[in-house]
Amino acid sequence: MTVSSMTTTVDRAVAQSRVPANPWGLVRRALVYVLLSLAAFVSIFPFYWMVVGATNTSADIIKGKSSLGSALITNATAFFTQVDAVRIFWNSGVIAVVATVLTLAISSLAGYGFEMFRSRVRERIFGFLLLLLSIPFAAMMVPLFVMFSQAKLVNTFAAVILPTVASIFIIFYFRQTTKAFPTELRDAARIDGLKEWQIFLYVYLPVMRSTYAAATIIVFMANWNNYLWPLVVLQTAENKTITLILSGLTAAYTPDYGLILFGTVLATLPTLVIFFLLQRRFVEGMLGAVK
Amino acid sequence: MSSLKLTDVRKTYGKLEVIKGVNLEIKSKEFVVFVGPSGCGKSTLLRMIAGLEHITAGDLEIGGQRMNDVDPSKRGIAMVFQSYALYPHMTVRENMGFALRFAGVAKEQIARQVDDAARILALGPLLDRLPKQLSGGQRQRVAIGRAIVRNPQVFLFDEPLSNLDAELRVHMRIEIARLHKELQTTIIYVTHDQVEAMTLADTIVVLRDGIIEQVGAPLDLYDDPANQFVAGFIGSPQMNFLAAVVTEKTAAGTTVALPNHGGVRLTLPVTGGSVGDKVVLGVRAEHFGLPGAGDADLTLNIDVAEHLGSTSYVYANAGGEALVIEREESRHEASSETITVSISSGKAYLFDSKGARLR
Amino acid sequence: MAQARLDRRENITGWVFIAPALILLGLFMIYPIVWSLWMSFQVGKGMNLSFGGFANILRLTKDPVFLRALGNTFTFFIFQVPIMIVLALLFAVALNDSTLKFRGFFRTAIFLPCATSLIAYSTVFKSMFAIDGVVNQTLMQLHLIGEPISWLGDPFWAKVLIIMAITWRWTGYNMIFYLAALQNIDRSIYEAARIDGVPAWARFRYLTIPMLKPVILFTTVISTIGTLQLFDEVANFTAGTGGPSDSTLTLSLYIYNLTFKFMPSFGYSATVSWVIVVLVGILSFLQFLIARDRRTS
Repeated sequence: MTVSSMTTTVDRAVAQSRVPANPWGLVRRALVYVLLSLAAFVSIFPFYWMVVGATNTSADIIKGKSSLGSALITNATAFFTQVDAVRIFWNSGVIAVVATVLTLAISSLAGYGFEMFRSRVRERIFGFLLLLLSIPFAAMMVPLFVMFSQAKLVNTFAAVILPTVASIFIIFYFRQTTKAFPTELRDAARIDGLKEWQIFLYVYLPVMRSTYAAATIIVFMANWNNYLWPLVVLQTAENKTITLILSGLTAAYTPDYGLILFGTVLATLPTLVIFFLLQRRFVEGMLGAVK
Repeated sequence: MSSLKLTDVRKTYGKLEVIKGVNLEIKSKEFVVFVGPSGCGKSTLLRMIAGLEHITAGDLEIGGQRMNDVDPSKRGIAMVFQSYALYPHMTVRENMGFALRFAGVAKEQIARQVDDAARILALGPLLDRLPKQLSGGQRQRVAIGRAIVRNPQVFLFDEPLSNLDAELRVHMRIEIARLHKELQTTIIYVTHDQVEAMTLADTIVVLRDGIIEQVGAPLDLYDDPANQFVAGFIGSPQMNFLAAVVTEKTAAGTTVALPNHGGVRLTLPVTGGSVGDKVVLGVRAEHFGLPGAGDADLTLNIDVAEHLGSTSYVYANAGGEALVIEREESRHEASSETITVSISSGKAYLFDSKGARLR
Repeated sequence: MAQARLDRRENITGWVFIAPALILLGLFMIYPIVWSLWMSFQVGKGMNLSFGGFANILRLTKDPVFLRALGNTFTFFIFQVPIMIVLALLFAVALNDSTLKFRGFFRTAIFLPCATSLIAYSTVFKSMFAIDGVVNQTLMQLHLIGEPISWLGDPFWAKVLIIMAITWRWTGYNMIFYLAALQNIDRSIYEAARIDGVPAWARFRYLTIPMLKPVILFTTVISTIGTLQLFDEVANFTAGTGGPSDSTLTLSLYIYNLTFKFMPSFGYSATVSWVIVVLVGILSFLQFLIARDRRTS
């Protein structure tokens, strides 16, 4: 038998095995598509609703109008007069970008350090940190607030960013993915004359791009959406983030949904852009973490 | 090009000693192969020479200088790894020039050295590709190229061919041998494959459990193994070992009886051993002769015969002892049930019960 | 191989790599935690605190609002976590079939909700679930309900809404973990099982579930922590009140209110936060116990 005729036979066998052997298989397959389509619809509809809502008046939205309206300009004007949008988005952007860069730097260094330079003491510390993961933020919120007010840092970006920068979850994530980093690469770099920090910067970092991409999505979203701690620590309107401002608008007795949904579309855009830019790497990075 | 000297080198992890005092001198331009079963410490020893593992005790000298605490990049060594360890985000050219970049070498100089190395290994057309665009053999050549660029005094190879398929392995083996001739450098090469060791080495170092069992030229180890372990490890198929008992000592040598073969006797030109000792008789597969052609005849039951064309291997047994016999003209033996072979006393080895060679 | 003992220089390098994280964690996590533990034994208003021993713990047992919040938090946990984990598993297994069409679309669609901002989705949900909103209208047109449900005004339906919202947001996130784990499973295991005549449900039950156990445990623990700390959704759906009539008040929201809304009583709110710590500890331990391999125990 020649190679080519063998592959066609194999292909045919595979093709046949794809056809469900009994009618139950067909039903099951149909059920899977129905289930997934329903899930996809439920997942996407609120996005559609949000965009459509930005073009409708508040009254229409509450009445459930789910087609495009003509109030987009009105909503936009209302939003930009009520909210100092440039300022607020700047605040959110600075906080999220600075926090993300610092978190990735500090947590990846730590994850690399824990995995590459194992010692009994550091293993103990790592185990202890994992235990801390279960302590809710609420438990440290009050002392943190007192600390920052004693340091006269309340109502500053530093107060929002600093407590989030060393993230145990991200350290854990980097340590897990570092397990897949080939140690021979590090040996080769050492023989090539690189110092440890150079190995991290010139070899580890570029090789682990996917891991960093995945972490970027997770950390950026967490910071962009962070609510409780900024709510506690940011007090004046000009320092607030878009999340806090929109939350304030929603809490009104009769919220203007048209205006809010317009702002919501704006607030969601950065996270969606980052998500779609890095999505492929994100899935790769997650794969690395579970291996 | 440089000589290398290990003096009572040891490595311990906590209480576990993995290298138990190694003394070894490697001459300049010599091709030395460390060989041994997995876990024998050969890779650890290589990594200690490279500076990737700390030397617990003892001295390492390269070119007459003590190197124990010298940074890996300053020992005058280059290393080729089992997994090639190419930087996946860099082109072949960048991979090869990476070490020089960090040694502060000028750009034009780096380019020249990379081009030179690429010419030696015929890597020219591949220089701008990424490692993932290369085949296994090409990656291996790039890894070697990266080592050459640094112009080292000593090349270290850590099982470099074990990730290649059989055909490519033979090809790369020849290429490495050619390279050694061309570059005239000292090479230390680690492998668990005794065929690689036999074909490549000027000197083979056989290791077991962190100690050196024997050092010597390939055929010296083959013809004159120091102990039962080396005798069994070097050579394929493995040397046959037959249980024996010393029955008589004469001027002609030591006479042994083989209890599993009807007590047949054989006198070897050996002075060691005393009457009554349980010993082991070693015979290589190709040293069994035709009936009556040697000093003792054995009749064995055939289990299987493998005919490879030029030679055949007959797997046979007697008294619970399994033996392999190599025959050049034996296609008919597939049909028979038994085979009779002879042993020549000049082509047999005797080992005591602890595995040491009796001479 | 035995764990390599590092020489002195390497050991120091190791500390240097983790030092920034350790310093920050010590300052902004461990120190506040220890402080809050100490605080939980203090009584008084504002910063006028004095040692009260177990007074705060005693107060917990007599505080109807706390008990309410505890019950609500528990309700959210009991219903939300299992529903979400099961859904995420189902989607992941369905999407892991390489012969499925539009896989990429389904995966992205289901994952998309966790890319939204909290505030975006709570606003959207609030407007969709308004009394005359699109959800009620649709349900009435389908004749599933006779009259509109007061999603935000009825204590029962408010809880349901919160559970639906969290599930909507986080199912895709958990699904990605399972998908990643599923792709690491050797396909030939399933092929071998098919040749052995193992039916599809049994392949799921006896192959997939056991092999995903570590990931399931991980996501369950993470989700437990998340649900017990539930704050953002509730605060935004109910404008920070936990209403109607405390029916969606969670422990975290109560802590926030105790600290920043009412006359601040730091000591007591610290005590409530330690209730969450203890609950997470107990539940995580139970989950490990259940997930533990019976054969090795």
